[in-house]
Amino acid sequence: MTTYIIRRILWGILLIILVSALTFVFFNVFPSADPAILRAGRNSSPATIAHIRHNLGLDKPVYTQFWIYMKNILLHFNFGYSYYSGASVLGLIKDRLPATLSLTVGAAVFWLLAGIPVGIISAVRRGTLLDRAAMSGALFFVSMPVFWLGLVMLFLFANDIGRFHVFPGAGTYVGLTNDPVKWFTSLIMPWIVLAATSAAIYSRLLRGSLIEAMGEDYIRTARAKGLTERRVIWRHGVRSAITPVVTILGLDIGALLGGAVITETVFDIPGIGRLNYDAIVHSDFPIVQGTVLLAALFIIVANIIVDISYAYLDPRVRYS
Amino acid sequence: MRVSRNLIASAVTVLLAGGLAACGGSSSSSSSGGGSNSSTSSSAQAIPLKPGENPVGQQLTGKTKGGTLTVLSNGDFEHLDSGQAYYALDYQIIQATDRPLFSYPPNSVSTVRADLATTVPTTANGGITDGGKTVTVHIRTGVHYSPPVNREVTAQDVAFALERGANPNVGNAYWPAYFGAASPAPLLGSTSSKYQGGPLPGITTPNKTTIVFKMTKPGAPLLIDALSLPLSAPLPPEFVGPLDKKSPTTYGTQFLVATGPYMVQADKTGKIAGIGYQPGKSETLVRNPNWDPKTDFRPAYLNQIKVKVGGDSTVIGQQVLKGSDSIQLDTVDNSIVKQAYQQDPSQITFTSGSGDHYMAMNTQHGVFKNVNIRRAMWAALDREAIVKARGGALVAEPGTHFIYPGVAGYDQAGGAKGPPVDFNKSVTGNATAAAKYMKAAGYPSGKYTGNQTIQVVLSNAGNGPAIAQIVSSAMTSIGLKPKVSLVDQSTMYSKYCGVPKQQIDACPTVGWIRDFADPLSVLYATFYGPSIVPTNNSNWSQANIPAVNTAMVKAALVADPAAHVQAWANVDKMLVNEAVAVPEDFDNEPQIESKDVAGVNQLWNEGQWDFAFTSLKNG
Repeated sequence: MTTYIIRRILWGILLIILVSALTFVFFNVFPSADPAILRAGRNSSPATIAHIRHNLGLDKPVYTQFWIYMKNILLHFNFGYSYYSGASVLGLIKDRLPATLSLTVGAAVFWLLAGIPVGIISAVRRGTLLDRAAMSGALFFVSMPVFWLGLVMLFLFANDIGRFHVFPGAGTYVGLTNDPVKWFTSLIMPWIVLAATSAAIYSRLLRGSLIEAMGEDYIRTARAKGLTERRVIWRHGVRSAITPVVTILGLDIGALLGGAVITETVFDIPGIGRLNYDAIVHSDFPIVQGTVLLAALFIIVANIIVDISYAYLDPRVRYS
Repeated sequence: MRVSRNLIASAVTVLLAGGLAACGGSSSSSSSGGGSNSSTSSSAQAIPLKPGENPVGQQLTGKTKGGTLTVLSNGDFEHLDSGQAYYALDYQIIQATDRPLFSYPPNSVSTVRADLATTVPTTANGGITDGGKTVTVHIRTGVHYSPPVNREVTAQDVAFALERGANPNVGNAYWPAYFGAASPAPLLGSTSSKYQGGPLPGITTPNKTTIVFKMTKPGAPLLIDALSLPLSAPLPPEFVGPLDKKSPTTYGTQFLVATGPYMVQADKTGKIAGIGYQPGKSETLVRNPNWDPKTDFRPAYLNQIKVKVGGDSTVIGQQVLKGSDSIQLDTVDNSIVKQAYQQDPSQITFTSGSGDHYMAMNTQHGVFKNVNIRRAMWAALDREAIVKARGGALVAEPGTHFIYPGVAGYDQAGGAKGPPVDFNKSVTGNATAAAKYMKAAGYPSGKYTGNQTIQVVLSNAGNGPAIAQIVSSAMTSIGLKPKVSLVDQSTMYSKYCGVPKQQIDACPTVGWIRDFADPLSVLYATFYGPSIVPTNNSNWSQANIPAVNTAMVKAALVADPAAHVQAWANVDKMLVNEAVAVPEDFDNEPQIESKDVAGVNQLWNEGQWDFAFTSLKNG
């Protein structure tokens, strides 16, 4: 097991370097705005632009730029500085990460709390009105774009622009340590919006998986041994059926920690997603690179955790 | 000479609708409604404005003091350094924190007044001498910097601020055009390619309150206009100089001082980063404790201004309309404009003369080298459809020439109808005129029969795709075969339309905003041949017509105001005759405010909010 984990970590590091290289290539090869011009401002003289290009190191060969960049990351853990504000990329990420972390973890709790019970009930009560209603609801939420649902929620329930003044609206996010109550209430709607689609997907996924598992021989054996139906479902059915849910959960959390751009934009939450989006708009490459690396890191770590958790969830899985 | 910045949307295009220039403002105390709000324009709004929607005549004085204004903006600032700022959003901050030598009062679109200076120099008061080659400016006493500098402002500080514009670490965008080598009347010593800031023979300070400008040509009126730009706001060399040694300077991103009524909240060292300014998140303006109202014409009613950056523009719009103490800083979403116009007329204003858009056609390469094909293109384009695509008659009107409403010379150049040439007559497209010019171009069928494909590059933001369809349709109608590329706005400018060697045939979503009332600031950078540069080029048509170039240089130096304006109007007519581009629309900028805000628009500056005049009704 330890060997397996070490091997996965090494592969993860290699993958991050590859992601970094690919991001660098995409940024340099595909059409994007010239950062030196953006930094200089429109109508700036060619001399000024050349000066800025030199100072940002953009006049160096692409491979040299990449080497310098990777060297700074690997040897000094320095992700560089924003072309615009001059702020440290690491500092900006640290500043924005708590908001994204709050959004992601809370939403994950929401969608697990909603998706898993609905999936189990639908599987167990397969074919009933309850099952059909639950799956129709799931289909409804799966079909709704996040930005649309977000706007609808705000226009219905935000306490500033909503028809019913229930929850704090957009732009009300405060840090957990500043005001825990405000932090919680300001995130209720974003959590619901972000969780809605995932909860629906998870419930459908778990339902299908559980229906399949409940038809397996070991379930029949468990029942034959006289175990209660509740124990059969939870200890033998769900434990086996939840493996694909765990897989997708790892990926989802990893991806969202890299930034939930749309939710963060609609609800005006200053997280990693919005940082990344603004950086892309401004061709602020160091920030783009930093946030992409962060997202890759989260996904890789999440995958490793998922793989490890398989061994505990499913007795049939053993790593060597 | 500012180009408006669109918010660029890629992954969330639908969420963040791009608009042209941010601008506008409003006053619930605005006067009459209806009609044009430009003092020099005869054009009329296609849709009559309701009472309160026209900012002309807004109340500037005698309002309630105190309170905190919340400013919502989905776009961030670019530069807070007065030496670097060149974007409408930035100007709104700079106007509240810095004091240039001259300023436009918010209700004026054409007349500067003394700000840090004691008077506007004229020949009569001895401020303009040497046949217009020398300008002497006296500055006020009693103006002090905010902490930590605290000391009184001197003329030497103004000289330093101006000279640092040429410092590559600052890289002021308009220094070359108004003060340096590209200016029609450069300051003495500024034309040297080696000059990179520091003492300049053209700027001298005989004493602490006097600064003298010497030009190589008699360009006094132009210089005085240019000194209304933020670059002339004084800066303390002992504080800013060391920061300027870094590349780029850290003044404006890390540290800032103020001379105006407000300052960006800072610590004891003047550091703003992470305190009063958090990039992409927020900015807080507080009162400058060293500001003396006796030295200023700004009332500065508000105690504090909190800017929140980020969010969706439709949500922001609703928050402003339904909320309190707030305004929207940047582009208002079209759906919000419509709602406010119909339901909340006291909370929205429309300022005409806030820029223009046009389709630049490459006059140096490809089919558009032929002036008759350019005229045919002009005739074929449905400009009314473009106005609709931009949001309709409330926010735009069809463009008919290049000096737009509000800029001196607009009426003389043809007003709303524009010059009476047949290819300009119908704003909905004129197939007959288009065919006529195609025949004149050598295509007897009235349609292009060559093999060249037309490379069209335009912005993918907001209404870009709709405009692409309208332009493609017009091109196809005269036989051209367009190949359209939609890219984000900054890429459009920095990689394609602003790079002549890319040989892009047409750029249909370029736009321009004046720096001041002089029509030079609309036509010079955009159509003057020698202004073409290999990168970051703003002469997108690459117009280089000797007769026009000569006329521009002459017009720039005409001292008599009426003759000056007429000379530029004549240049405009020449540009129309050459069809260097197709004017698409003149813009009217909408701005929204909460019910309890008495906002004031800067009519000279696209109707931007003037924080130094805006107040809360209840304080």
